[in-house]
Amino acid sequence: MASAQTGYVGSNVCKTCHADVWFNFYKNPHYRGIASGKEPPQRTGCESCHGPGQAHVEARGGKTTIPHAFSLMTPKQVLADCLTCHAANFDKANIRRSEHTLADIACTSCHSIHHSATAKYLLAKAQKELCYGCHNNIRAQFEMPSHHRVNEGFMNCTDCHNPHGSFAATWGMADRPRMAAQALNNEEPCLKCHVDKRGPFVFEHAPVRIDGCETCHNPHGSTNGRLLRRPVVFTLCLECHNGGGAGTRNQGVDIQSATHNLLDPKYQRCTTCHARIHGSNIDEYFLR
Amino acid sequence: MRQGICFLTTFLIAAAGSLQAQQVVAPTPDAVGSARGENAGDYNITNSFETGYRWSLVGGDLGMYRSDVNYGNGLRLLGSSLTVESRDGHGRFFDEIVLNTTGLGNDPYQAATLRVRKNGLYEYDMTWRLDDFYNPGLDVSGGAHLMDTTRHLQDHDLTLFPQGHFQIDLGYSRNTQSGPALTTAQEFDTRSSAFPVFENVNRQWNEYRLGLRATFAGFTFIARHTWDFYRDNPSDAFNGLEAAGTQNDLGALTHFQSSQPAHGANPGWLGNLFTRRKLWAVNARMTYVAGHGDFALDQSATGTSRFGATANQQVSVSGNGQRPDLAGDFNVSLFPLDNLTIVNSTSVHNLRISGDNYYSEYDNGTGLAATFAFAFLGVRTIANNTDIQYRWRNWIGFFAGYDYSERRITETDASALPSIPGTAFSDSYAQESHLNEGRLGVRLRPAKPLTITLDGEVGRTSKPLDPISDANYHALNGRVQYRTRRLQTAGEYRQVYNLNAPLSLTYYSSHSRTYSGSASWSPRDWFSIDATYNKLHLDTASSLQFFAGILSPQLQTGYSSLYVSNIHAGNLGIRFALARRVDVYVGYSITKDVGDGRASAVPAGTTNAVQALLGGVQTFPLTYQSPLARLSVRISPKVRWNAGYQFYGYGEQFHLLGYDQNYNAHAGYTSLLWSF
Repeated sequence: MASAQTGYVGSNVCKTCHADVWFNFYKNPHYRGIASGKEPPQRTGCESCHGPGQAHVEARGGKTTIPHAFSLMTPKQVLADCLTCHAANFDKANIRRSEHTLADIACTSCHSIHHSATAKYLLAKAQKELCYGCHNNIRAQFEMPSHHRVNEGFMNCTDCHNPHGSFAATWGMADRPRMAAQALNNEEPCLKCHVDKRGPFVFEHAPVRIDGCETCHNPHGSTNGRLLRRPVVFTLCLECHNGGGAGTRNQGVDIQSATHNLLDPKYQRCTTCHARIHGSNIDEYFLR
Repeated sequence: MRQGICFLTTFLIAAAGSLQAQQVVAPTPDAVGSARGENAGDYNITNSFETGYRWSLVGGDLGMYRSDVNYGNGLRLLGSSLTVESRDGHGRFFDEIVLNTTGLGNDPYQAATLRVRKNGLYEYDMTWRLDDFYNPGLDVSGGAHLMDTTRHLQDHDLTLFPQGHFQIDLGYSRNTQSGPALTTAQEFDTRSSAFPVFENVNRQWNEYRLGLRATFAGFTFIARHTWDFYRDNPSDAFNGLEAAGTQNDLGALTHFQSSQPAHGANPGWLGNLFTRRKLWAVNARMTYVAGHGDFALDQSATGTSRFGATANQQVSVSGNGQRPDLAGDFNVSLFPLDNLTIVNSTSVHNLRISGDNYYSEYDNGTGLAATFAFAFLGVRTIANNTDIQYRWRNWIGFFAGYDYSERRITETDASALPSIPGTAFSDSYAQESHLNEGRLGVRLRPAKPLTITLDGEVGRTSKPLDPISDANYHALNGRVQYRTRRLQTAGEYRQVYNLNAPLSLTYYSSHSRTYSGSASWSPRDWFSIDATYNKLHLDTASSLQFFAGILSPQLQTGYSSLYVSNIHAGNLGIRFALARRVDVYVGYSITKDVGDGRASAVPAGTTNAVQALLGGVQTFPLTYQSPLARLSVRISPKVRWNAGYQFYGYGEQFHLLGYDQNYNAHAGYTSLLWSF
């Protein structure tokens, strides 16, 4: 219901000039406010986001007469306006501390309310194109020979990341959460799909559980097989298993066994014998 | 016109030398039918289907192609889209249906998403996915690609009363993986060779979710309970004769049978309370997951030991493990001024992995058996971080942050074979690490389309877990971005430098530098061009200790592991339309690692066998490129004919792995995109 006293004129007035926006607006999730018929003017239709339109009407248009013209607002103001309704969503509970917000990436940087390219989430472009637009170096990783299947349409960035921010990482030193969408409420997102790596194992490979999968893998893509950080496996293993670091015993990470002659090819293929390298219930050396 | 063609050709050739990227040639992104859809009663409908035939011709290593790309031949529903929208928001059973599919029919990557919604009453989201997973096999397979599993994923979420103050969420997710995979069995002692055996992978994970959300007085409270069940029932069997085939090992396997089921459950709780006010906001979360697993192994093997004696071994194991996992977070955001935001976050995480199992390894020849107990691993982390964002003027703003975290790791080893001299059967260890990290940056916006960001980060960690963990590191980042409606360009430089010297005799350094540039230009509605370039540089140096020798293994301490990667990655895409009827897309992508520029894997003149081994794996130069072209012709307003071709070329320079993985593949398709 329009209220002249507070400057609200109602969406029917807006559509007189903005017919192109109004014509398909019933497809927009924001149409729900109009459809319900129960919302107050400040939560109905165009004015629920753009504010009371009376001054805009009386001025016969003009961006500066719109109380909330998003193209003229700072990122912080845009965020505050959208959170008026969307603050109650769990997936946006961390938006104040997300890297995107701290980098002045506002909602309208990724979402296009009136000219969305996607039927869901009102994204300005298809999701991967949207993310690649800024994360150019990540795109390069997804185009490497070994990669998670984002370009093929099997996965999306949001399978592993929450672009609206996340809680502190429960792996590593709890820094750099990288907006990871945690699995099972509080685990590294890799375990959403790779459920066999979850354990618990009698013999955990400590860095997997403590520092996370990135100890050995590049999660987006790699020129090496299995997303590994090194082309051959023995260098990957020996760079940690050299007696350095704290390890879990304060005595460094165990070095290779004295029975293993690295010049013998069979000892250069560590995971051939240590086949359960992510953790084992049977063998402390991950042999079974 | 000729000049234009010459320019385009020249540009493509020039760009091909320096750019890279990769996208799949189908499905077609073009649309058919009226963008506004067709009205049917109180609903509006849009739909499109793209059906066609996909083909591929592969030369070289077919296994590597299947691991990297895996598109095959056959009829496909390459993509489809359906939307049904209520025109007044008062549909009888639903107000919106959105269905999208890709790759159905037999593509290796298939997906379908569905949303059904009725305003104010319910919202249902479904995602279904299939991944035909073909992965490089184990080293023992000599490069054969022998993991051919299929993974199915599905997620269902139903929200009741999505616009109300009280909301109910129901969810179900399922993840299954099945198929053959190559693995190994190491028989008959820990120093013998591993025999390759096939495993039937059979994994299944189910999760059920029930959640409530209540909003009152500006506060939102969310409670969610999850029931999570996992089972893994792999089985292996071998009958025949498999020799170890390695030097000084007479081992042979004549019979092998293994069954190794593991079942688990992870019931969990999540509670979340948050609110947002004019000057502050609070977000508090608590999660608890009570992980539990049961496992067993029944394995038998007969054959010949590495010394040539008859061997007959049985191994049986059973046990269970617990993994209670607790995490809590408390975030406070303050907005004392319009241009100032302060965010502080405190988090606690406590993970404990313990349990009991009984291990008996029985050797029929000696009658010996061994018993093992569960190893305990506990990780407790407390972290606090603060971020401040201050916009001094509209054109300049500053941001800064500080992180502190403390991690305590507790481990109890329960080993029958202590690997460290002086340790006992069961020893407990504890170690604490501390991280201090600071960030500082400035963001400039001298003109509306132009943004410049400069920032740096410095961190120090005491007692990093691994030699390669972040210890003494810094990062520098600079980004310039220019965006207008027709032209978007960006350039970025980032470097991360980590030094880790846990002991006087060991060190690790990692230095990465990334240079990025991108441009997207759409001068006309019928023409656009996108180009990106990245140089990803990484060099690491790590000290090594290992055993090696020509006659017998000796401890080697004077060698380093060096790794240099210099990847040039480029991507070029050009779209243009001819006479509003024909759309053409040509693209090219390349990933080229030039390594450190050496001509051969092992530098000439290297005579030391250990140095030759280590020197040969310091770089991994390769080229992976993929040009593609796609044509889409509008036959009628509701029908388009499409055709495309894509080439995949993969070439390693040094055959580092000892076998050839190079391949060339030609893939293409033709399809009809139609709407009715």
